[in-house]
Amino acid sequence: MEKENSKKFGMVIDLDKCTGCGSCMVACMAENNIPFREDETDKLLSVSWMHVYRLTNVKPFPDTEECYLPRPCQHCEGHHGHSPCVSVCPATATDYDMDTGIVSQIYTRCFGCRYCMAACPYHVRQFNWWDPLWPDGMEKSLNPNVSVRMRGVVEKCSFCIHRYQLAKDQAYMEGRREIEEDEYQTACTQACPAGAITFGDLNNPKHAVYQMVKPDKKNGGKPKNPKAFRLLERLGTNAKVYYLSSREWVRRAGDNYLKTEGQAKHA
Amino acid sequence: MDSALIPEGVKRCPTWQFIIWIGVVGAVMMWGVFAILLVYIKGLNQTNMNNAYGFALWIWADLTVIALGGGAFFTGFLRYIIGKDELKHIINYAVLIGFICYSSALLILGFDVGQPLRAWFIFWHANVHSMLTEVAFCLTCYFGVLCIEYLPLALENRQIDKVPFFHHLSHNMHEIMAVFAATGAFLSFFHQGSLGGVPGVMFGRPFGFREGVLIWPWTFFLFTWSAAAGGPCFTILITKITEKAVRKKLVKDNVIELLAKISGWMLVGYMVAKIIDTWYWAAFTAPSKGFTLMDFYANNPGSVYGIWILIAEIGVCGVLPALILITDKGRKNRIALFLAVLLAVLGVCLNRWVMVLQVLAVPVLTFENWAQYLPSWQEIATTILPVAYGIIMISLSYRYLPVFPQERELNPIEAPVSQTQEQLPEPETPPAGAEPEPSPSGS
Amino acid sequence: MKIDRRSFLSFVIGGAAGTALSPLPWKLTDDIAIWSQNWPWTPVPQKGEVSYLNSTCTLCPGGCGILVRKVGERVVKLEGMEGHPVNDGGLCTLGLAGTQLLYGPTRVKTPLKKVNGAWRKISWNAAIAEIVEKLSDLRSKGLPHTVACISGSDRGTVPELFNRFLTVYGSPNFMRTSSIQDSYELTLFLTQGVRAMAGFDVANADFILSFGSGLIEGWESPVYMFRAKSTLRENGGRMDQIEPRLSKTAAKSDKWIAISPGTEGALALGLAHVIIKEKLYNKKFVDTYTSGFEAHKKLVIDGYPPDIVSKITGVDTATITALAKDFARARKPLAICGRGKGYIPGSLQEFLAIHTLNALVGNINQTGGIWAVPEPDYISWPEVEMDKIASNGLQQERVDGAGSKAYPYARYLLGRLPEVINSSQDSPIQVLFVTTANPMYAMPDTQAVAKAFEKIPFVVSFSSFLDETAVNADLILPNHVFLERYEDVPAAHGFPKPIIGLARPVIEPLFNTQHSGDVIIQIANELGGPIADAFPWDSYDACLEETLADKWDALVEDGYWSDEVFSAADWSTAFETDSAKFEFTNEDIESLPRYNPLKAKGDEAHYPLVLIPYDSMRLASGHIGSPPFLIKSVEDYILTANDVLVEVNPATANEYGLKDGKYAFLRTPKGNARVKVRVFDGIMPGLVAIPRGLGHTAFGRFLAGKGVHYNALIGPVEDPASGHDAAWGIRAKLSKT
Ligand SMILES: Nc1nc2c(c(=O)[nH]1)N[C@H]1C(S)=C(S)[C@@H](COP(=O)(O)OP(=O)(O)OC[C@H]3O[C@@H](n4cnc5c(=O)[nH]c(N)nc54)[C@H](O)[C@@H]3O)O[C@H]1N2
Ligand SMILES: Nc1nc2c(c(=O)[nH]1)N[C@H]1C(S)=C(S)[C@@H](COP(=O)(O)OP(=O)(O)OC[C@H]3O[C@@H](n4cnc5c(=O)[nH]c(N)nc54)[C@H](O)[C@@H]3O)O[C@H]1N2
Ligand code: SF4
Ligand code: SF4
Ligand code: SF4
Ligand code: SF4
Ligand code: SF4
Repeated sequence: MEKENSKKFGMVIDLDKCTGCGSCMVACMAENNIPFREDETDKLLSVSWMHVYRLTNVKPFPDTEECYLPRPCQHCEGHHGHSPCVSVCPATATDYDMDTGIVSQIYTRCFGCRYCMAACPYHVRQFNWWDPLWPDGMEKSLNPNVSVRMRGVVEKCSFCIHRYQLAKDQAYMEGRREIEEDEYQTACTQACPAGAITFGDLNNPKHAVYQMVKPDKKNGGKPKNPKAFRLLERLGTNAKVYYLSSREWVRRAGDNYLKTEGQAKHA
Repeated sequence: MDSALIPEGVKRCPTWQFIIWIGVVGAVMMWGVFAILLVYIKGLNQTNMNNAYGFALWIWADLTVIALGGGAFFTGFLRYIIGKDELKHIINYAVLIGFICYSSALLILGFDVGQPLRAWFIFWHANVHSMLTEVAFCLTCYFGVLCIEYLPLALENRQIDKVPFFHHLSHNMHEIMAVFAATGAFLSFFHQGSLGGVPGVMFGRPFGFREGVLIWPWTFFLFTWSAAAGGPCFTILITKITEKAVRKKLVKDNVIELLAKISGWMLVGYMVAKIIDTWYWAAFTAPSKGFTLMDFYANNPGSVYGIWILIAEIGVCGVLPALILITDKGRKNRIALFLAVLLAVLGVCLNRWVMVLQVLAVPVLTFENWAQYLPSWQEIATTILPVAYGIIMISLSYRYLPVFPQERELNPIEAPVSQTQEQLPEPETPPAGAEPEPSPSGS
Repeated sequence: MKIDRRSFLSFVIGGAAGTALSPLPWKLTDDIAIWSQNWPWTPVPQKGEVSYLNSTCTLCPGGCGILVRKVGERVVKLEGMEGHPVNDGGLCTLGLAGTQLLYGPTRVKTPLKKVNGAWRKISWNAAIAEIVEKLSDLRSKGLPHTVACISGSDRGTVPELFNRFLTVYGSPNFMRTSSIQDSYELTLFLTQGVRAMAGFDVANADFILSFGSGLIEGWESPVYMFRAKSTLRENGGRMDQIEPRLSKTAAKSDKWIAISPGTEGALALGLAHVIIKEKLYNKKFVDTYTSGFEAHKKLVIDGYPPDIVSKITGVDTATITALAKDFARARKPLAICGRGKGYIPGSLQEFLAIHTLNALVGNINQTGGIWAVPEPDYISWPEVEMDKIASNGLQQERVDGAGSKAYPYARYLLGRLPEVINSSQDSPIQVLFVTTANPMYAMPDTQAVAKAFEKIPFVVSFSSFLDETAVNADLILPNHVFLERYEDVPAAHGFPKPIIGLARPVIEPLFNTQHSGDVIIQIANELGGPIADAFPWDSYDACLEETLADKWDALVEDGYWSDEVFSAADWSTAFETDSAKFEFTNEDIESLPRYNPLKAKGDEAHYPLVLIPYDSMRLASGHIGSPPFLIKSVEDYILTANDVLVEVNPATANEYGLKDGKYAFLRTPKGNARVKVRVFDGIMPGLVAIPRGLGHTAFGRFLAGKGVHYNALIGPVEDPASGHDAAWGIRAKLSKT
């Protein structure tokens, strides 16, 4: 199973900082050759590996509050790498990498059964309903490190894994075995003007993400940081994207609770 | 015109009438074929599915026909393994219906996926953890078994049977049919179960997720059970509809009633299990994920997903038909029997709908909404296609093959059947050797 | 051999079995699968050598540093430059989508001339000859002042070349597109006596009091403000947003104070009332470095007690009092204004009222305060030699009235132009140059603007894109896009330090375009005489390198030059007013901060509601149209198919029978539109909010026709104190269809 010095790449997104500006979405589109169509307003037909949700505290004027929640793939570890989507794929077109903790997607293997989409509770996985087409000339801006996906397959955020590969190649050429924290950063992290996204190895105490959600051994490995939470923690998806919020209602919106269950864990 | 092909001793409608009938149904089928072509050429954007509703009408149709096709494996199981000999008078039809259902299911899978040309990756790059892999393997194997089970019947066509090779092939296949029936029952048990496992293992979807034993969630067993209970009801239902359509009695009441009785008791058992499952899920599984039962049903526009679904599935389409079918009076009353099998079939349909579609509609993230979905005409056309195809298959089989062994006896061509004759117990007409199956050969 | 049935059947079955067992079907199956993985119509990006070049984004006045990633000769991605003082690696949605502007379908690929309403390709030489002929003709008629230029900016070499050209040619009519820059410049000039840019040290403040400024909706330098706001947060600072609507900025603030739109100035005076009355102001600063305090004190004490202000603004008195105390007691409080992205200059009195709050707390030219940042001064070209025609032309009053008796302090009043043209018999402008601006989209009352432009006989657009103004021009002389050209970016709006960025060509121009700087130099040369003499450079690039002189090398190397150690002038030297002090008011100008409500156009009886605009980072609302990625990122509660959703409070929706997601008619005195309704708790009752940046008619199929344009529904409201447009909304009616 998990190897000795295996990595566990993850993200911490500070919702107090996130402004909902959408730079993470557009950076991802540009980095990962996301196609676009004339009408992209039906978000359930639109491909965008990063999606920024708008949460509200459902209170009337003037007590209304909003919060923006960027949602990349949560790269769920599930139980021993059985993330909700990986174990269901009949063709092994998606995989949990024990070395990095990244949930991959092989577009050329996927045959579009969409079982993984059904299994992912975060609506992360998206289907290519249309042929991806670029107006004449616009294909020039496509990134050769990421393949363009054909119609009929499922795709999702990859934690920009090609950047990891490039960083490793670079390190290898320089005779190093390990890459530094700043050598592998995702496109969305890099672009975020508010500095709301932090990315790194959750297994590495030297990385910022580790420090932000430092596990509390006494509390089942849950982060010591009282502002930290994960989406749908209770389902056991064991996500690697953590969120920070100083607002109780935001943290509570991260999971489902029965009315009888008083306050969320980090009240 | 085609009288040489029609089994001896039975009456069929005139050829022109048959051609018109096939033409009309065929036209509906071609509509579906056109829609399939659109889907193949333009892609799944021809449907109204979306990223929230990744499974839709087709997958429901797929699961449903497989469940209803369960009549074949379960009747075979009863006939060959348990030894309910009377069922040999309906087994042909059960197999035929099963064959239609399963070939339809495979057809649907062929256009439901985004990349049909590489659908075989499911075998080549199989993932042992995936319920769909299990489904794919068992389904394909079982379809092979169904072909083998259907083949002897097809070979019994008057003209084909004249070829000695086929005659003997068919004969020998009958001999070993128990082996295939057993294999079929085993395979069915697994793929029906795996289909139940599809929603059951989705631990990210609390509406579908079920706890269970070992790697199998309870839905694994519930699906098998409901297919075993509902499949034979579907066989009865189609038999009854066929009888109405051809205005003839084709299977004797005692056969139907026996099958109905067994189905009834299966349904009772299934209902007990289903109610316990629902209760456990509502009382323990869902709350542990932060949901109450009513979170899954209430609070959605138009109440498309209201609690009525659960009431309909368990009460009206579950307990009620079960009660009718286990009572002698209920089975003997033609209307009650018809109603009961119809409700049971609807119950199975509803269950499959709920287990694959409502699973997707229920919001899991607290800041998402209920997903809505209405199929496009292309989806409807392609879903009606298997129905048309089934009608054609049944029409052809009924016309040219000795599907109903009791038909000649129940509908003698020359003299009208007398009352007394009908009450005779099982008059096996040709004493031709040790043939277990009634052979219409007459040769 | 006789073929009997048996042998025929054996043949068929054997053949089928044989084929199945042969490699053929399996090979075919495999080939088909491989084909499905390599569909020829699914593009395969070409590989190539990867390189990164530093440059500067020019898509807005934000001044972000960018790293351009190239693969071979293709531009693949724009990324933020790490360590850049403005954006430190971050980039906004528009900058990130920059490659789509470069390669997008809306580029103008060659000079175009309109002949009988249709575009015809024309050579550069012919196009320039045509302009030269027109200009010579006007000059010989003694009408050089009828040539005008609208430019997105008046700073940097390219705008300066246009300005210089007009000057030596003989026209005073160089106009900059208006924004809150106008109001802030005027505010600093009137109170501090300096011609300077306002810089905001948001990162080091500890209490930002924003009067509707979209700090995270693209106000001033967007990425800088985002970063600064995060730093403020990290340092435990607080931010309150005063705005009628729960904008993203409001949502991300510690407190959202809903206020009746247009009454922000009154609230500022109410806060001043409390601060002065409670003696919470910075005594050291007020006593030593200000003048006119007593008059100001009298004004706010008499006129703006909390109960009155509460009535005007709809903010309750307790909130006003508490807010004033918190603000004054903060260590580094900073009050800022200019609504949304700051496209409308706004009411000068409002700016003064809010700016004087900063004076009361002494946070001017201080860490965490508002800074007067000197205008860039690196452009020092030799004085132009003017001939008589030019001098005569320059004597003429500007068409927009800026600097005239009525508007003595305004430098540019582009907002007045349509009205001036439409109210005169013949257009006072005969030739109009438009560069880095899209006035036909960006100015209020689109219809009136269109009418005015129609009257101008010859409009020349320098746009790289087929924008609304270009579409309606007579000649398009397409500029290179920012990734194909050199250009200095002389400042980052709102950034508290002087900084110069350099945009540079990262690839050869894709099309037959030319640098606008070169075009102006060529036109000047062809006009000859003193005009040609004023442009001694061989090319724009030579001009730029010479101008930047000793900074050039650093700019090429780093992509920017900045004065890291700059700090705003000390209080003792900061003020260049007559009193050499910060002036709350002064005698000769009638600009005492007070509250004279500027009413929204339209009568209440017909238009019971008020329409206000709002901004979004996911929509470009300046002269650039949103590229496809931006439109793709727009939320479905803003745009659905081609319909824009306007926000109304549930109470308002109830009152007018409006349903969420349903169509409605929106009418204002200036226009009407079919919209969809979004019932939204985050907006005051009685208002309708509409996003800016939609409703384009140009920019191609990915943008044109989506939504409704706010400017088509509104007209300008002239601020009597400055002459600038100060419209914050318009009366409206929303009814069921
Ligand atoms: N996990 C994982 N496993 C893989 C693969 C993968 O992608 N992932 N890829 C598979 C594939 S495609 C391949 S080809 C194999 C490759 O597997 P290997 O053939 O084991 O390849 P290398 O690791 O390159 O090891 C080659 C060895 O040859 C030595 N060597 C180099 N030059 C010479 C020489 O001139 N003479 C001699 N005698 N030795 C020399 C090198 O030092 C090295 O020790 O790995 C396979 N295994
Ligand atoms: N740096 C470095 N470079 C090397 C080597 C090395 O050791 N180091 N080794 C060399 C050697 S020996 C080899 S063989 C090559 C291998 O080089 P590649 O052939 O590039 O092999 P992989 O890196 O394994 O990448 C295979 C890709 O195919 C995708 N894929 C997986 N299954 C399928 C499928 O069914 N269909 C399609 N179309 N795609 C699929 C995977 O997602 C993956 O992206 O690399 C060579 N180059
Ligand atoms: S880029 Fe950063 S601030 Fe903007 S939406 Fe994404 S996470 Fe939030
Ligand atoms: S978020 Fe969804 S797609 Fe990503 S790993 Fe988890 S289940 Fe899979
Ligand atoms: S859609 Fe593709 S990745 Fe998803 S389960 Fe099916 S084959 Fe696997
Ligand atoms: S990690 Fe990479 S792939 Fe995932 S959302 Fe961010 S930019 Fe996109
Ligand atoms: S904020 Fe302005 S300068 Fe910065 S990237 Fe965006 S458009 Fe370019």
